[in-house]
Amino acid sequence: MVDAVLKETSVAARQNTLDVLFRGATWFFAACVLIILAGVLVSLVVGAVPALTKFGWTFLTSSSWNPVTEVFGAYPAIYGTLVTSTIAMLIGIPVAFGIALFITELCPPWLKRPIGTLIELLAAIPSIIYGIWGLFVFAPFLQETLQPLLIDTLGEIPWIGALFEGPPLGIGILTAGLILAIMVLPFITSVMRDVFETVPTVLKESAYGIGATTWEVVWNIVLPTTRVGVIGGIMLGLGRALGETMAVTFVIGNAHRVKASLLAPGTTISATLANEFTEAVGDIYLSSLFALGFILFVITFIVLAIAKYMLIRLQARAGS
Amino acid sequence: MSTDASVTPPEQGRAPAFTAFRADGGAAPTHAAPIREAQRPTEAAKPAPPEKVIVRNLHFYYKKFEALHGISLALRDKRVTAFIGPSGCGKSTLLRVLNRIYQLYPEQRATGEVIVDGKNILDPGVDLNLLRAKIGMVFQKPTPFPMSIYDNIAFGIRLYEKLPPSELDERVESALRRAALWDEVKDKLKQSGLSLSGGQQQRLCIARAIAVKPEILLLDEPASALDPISTQRIEELIGELKTDYCIAIVTHNMQQAARASDYTAFMYLGELVEFDETEAIFTHPKNKRTEDYITGRFG
Amino acid sequence: MSPYIRRRAVNYTVLALSIGATLFGLVWLAFIFWTLLRNGIGAITPALFAEMTPPPGSQGGLLNAIYGSIVMTVVGTLVGSPIGVLAGTFLAEYGRGNPLAPIVRFINDILLSAPSIIVGLFIYELMVLQMGHFSAWAGSMALAIIVIPVVVRTTEDMLNLVPGSLREAAFALGTPKWKVIVMITYRAAIQGMLTGVMLGVARISGETAPLLFTALNNQFWSTNMNAPMANLPAVIFQFALSPYKDWQSLAWGGALLITVAILILNISARLLANLRGFSK
Repeated sequence: MVDAVLKETSVAARQNTLDVLFRGATWFFAACVLIILAGVLVSLVVGAVPALTKFGWTFLTSSSWNPVTEVFGAYPAIYGTLVTSTIAMLIGIPVAFGIALFITELCPPWLKRPIGTLIELLAAIPSIIYGIWGLFVFAPFLQETLQPLLIDTLGEIPWIGALFEGPPLGIGILTAGLILAIMVLPFITSVMRDVFETVPTVLKESAYGIGATTWEVVWNIVLPTTRVGVIGGIMLGLGRALGETMAVTFVIGNAHRVKASLLAPGTTISATLANEFTEAVGDIYLSSLFALGFILFVITFIVLAIAKYMLIRLQARAGS
Repeated sequence: MSTDASVTPPEQGRAPAFTAFRADGGAAPTHAAPIREAQRPTEAAKPAPPEKVIVRNLHFYYKKFEALHGISLALRDKRVTAFIGPSGCGKSTLLRVLNRIYQLYPEQRATGEVIVDGKNILDPGVDLNLLRAKIGMVFQKPTPFPMSIYDNIAFGIRLYEKLPPSELDERVESALRRAALWDEVKDKLKQSGLSLSGGQQQRLCIARAIAVKPEILLLDEPASALDPISTQRIEELIGELKTDYCIAIVTHNMQQAARASDYTAFMYLGELVEFDETEAIFTHPKNKRTEDYITGRFG
Repeated sequence: MSPYIRRRAVNYTVLALSIGATLFGLVWLAFIFWTLLRNGIGAITPALFAEMTPPPGSQGGLLNAIYGSIVMTVVGTLVGSPIGVLAGTFLAEYGRGNPLAPIVRFINDILLSAPSIIVGLFIYELMVLQMGHFSAWAGSMALAIIVIPVVVRTTEDMLNLVPGSLREAAFALGTPKWKVIVMITYRAAIQGMLTGVMLGVARISGETAPLLFTALNNQFWSTNMNAPMANLPAVIFQFALSPYKDWQSLAWGGALLITVAILILNISARLLANLRGFSK
């Protein structure tokens, strides 16, 4: 018997070759993932170099956007990207937390799955649907209700009032931020739910056992335990908000201007790209758009890398 | 095989001449001593079956932790050798060295020799797939493949043999018959293996293992996940199968070892404490720790 | 107010707020679906599926856009899924101890959430500029790149769910590793893996940004993969932002179509994932 073991039979040799081939194929395609990322980075840099060399650092601070004179600045786009995402986070985080709290602590068991599924459906709706809904339904709605309200109330307060100046257009930075909030909600909720559920039941029960209220258990036990994961989830939502394109494009007004008022139209990096890329003529114009894409890539990469790092740390702690 | 209770109990092949191969309790294990045959005055002389597997000075490591400390023993062909001992004593670890299934995990290592039919299977040049085709293993949890009952059995056969369908059918049927499963599944060979009960699934796994005509069978607590009736069936099966195979069985159930095996090895904390014919181990063990374990004082 | 009463009040307030937050989320969901239905249902006529996108001011349909979306989604899935499955297989079956695995996992999860418009820029550089024109191939490849991380993630997760004892049982028979993976592990995980592919398809069905400067758009019927091809999201983008009522109505119709398709895919994926006794 063992002669067969030590002798190389043709069957075994062929299987070993197939083994090597299969392993090589899986290795290669796994490496493809890295190649794709590298390719994206390289193509953005290559496309952006002409504009960046021409404008230098002023690209980041200039507000001019003039296809005729071929002078471009990224400041309004970067500003719009950051501000809309900030609004999205300011609203999205508390709401997501509330939903996660509801689902994990309050909700009767039979309701958990349906509600969870419904909230996740918000994530399944594509960006363009949010866009068309935003333009035709949400923006007019805000124009009639929220915006006049803000102008009449907060608009009167000194300092803060500057944020709510101008006519109620319906579209604008605030509207874009609000839609983004709804769009990133399900992602943050989902991560929060998952990390809340990793807290050992015994830990919560011992807190309930000394008479703590639900809120106190969550605030004092669940949140501190899951803090790293919660931050990871928030960063994930932020990463998504920064990159959202179509919904923002429809409702932001596409104005390369920076104004103090949130009710004013503006632009974001992705909205600029979506609107102008196919019409751009001239190498510098195109290159400036690539430069915008490069900036967006860098920002989202950093945010998503931090998110992933946090979630890995949480998993490591939970596992050990 | 009929399913009624008139089946004769498995023949316990007992060589009148026995060899005892043991380490002294607590002392460093001795190296391989030449096997001598001694005659018992009251029984007719019958040659002991040849040694199929010789383990020499086997050490095993999970990363830095040494799980087996220099094990040396021999498994005889056409006999059942049982490995008993408390949890963590290394009996499953030892079994998993014999078909080098531990090699799937890079942090596990073995040193020493395991000689099968004269060749050391721990040698790096050995083709693992061919080795494992000749040494069958059945695991604690039944693991039917996600395919039909027929395909479960045929899978292993198809790996190394190209058979015409009629011959394949015969092989499948004979494996299922030997595993005492044929009558229960002959009408539903196309159904998924997962549709069987726990005891049936385990017999399916045994059939799958013997269908490829191995020479050695390794059973790692094959009945521990099963109900008593299925357990009894499996034990009967083992008794029948031993006429063709060298069988090693790990069990935490001492009564099962006493019932079903010819030789027994008692292990404790990674060492082989005592190895002898089953009757000898259970009636007059030579080592105090063996006696303590068997009488239930610990473990 | 005694401390206990105050604590109770805080508790009730927070819990009420959390219910409010949930309702807030659900309300928007309902609102969006209702609006879609109301504005889009009028456009769902046989003509929608029979006629091409019209010039402004006339009637028409979305046939060329529907065709284009389906074709590019299918091609993108066919290209991206095998890559994703094999890469996920590497992570699950060969990744142990291999330093490449955690790096690939990390990068993959970043790509999963990265802005899809960036992918469009990449394919523009890589394919459109090199070929000299927009094409459905470019659009398909952009979609493939978006599908890959989804499939990698779900494949790895599903393969990791297959118990180690099943693999060991196959190895113990002398099965070579590639056969263990392909004939045993894949079979055990096939349900989950298919679900992952379906979720990937659902994801790319609605993607607009990557198609904007790869496949562009096409007013006319075209089956030429080497030329710009109409697709639903680009058509919706163009028509919705126009001042023409006919166009806007078609845009709503297209939006409803996409949403229904994605819903069906998501629900089917969930049903598939929960189907018991699936293995043959």
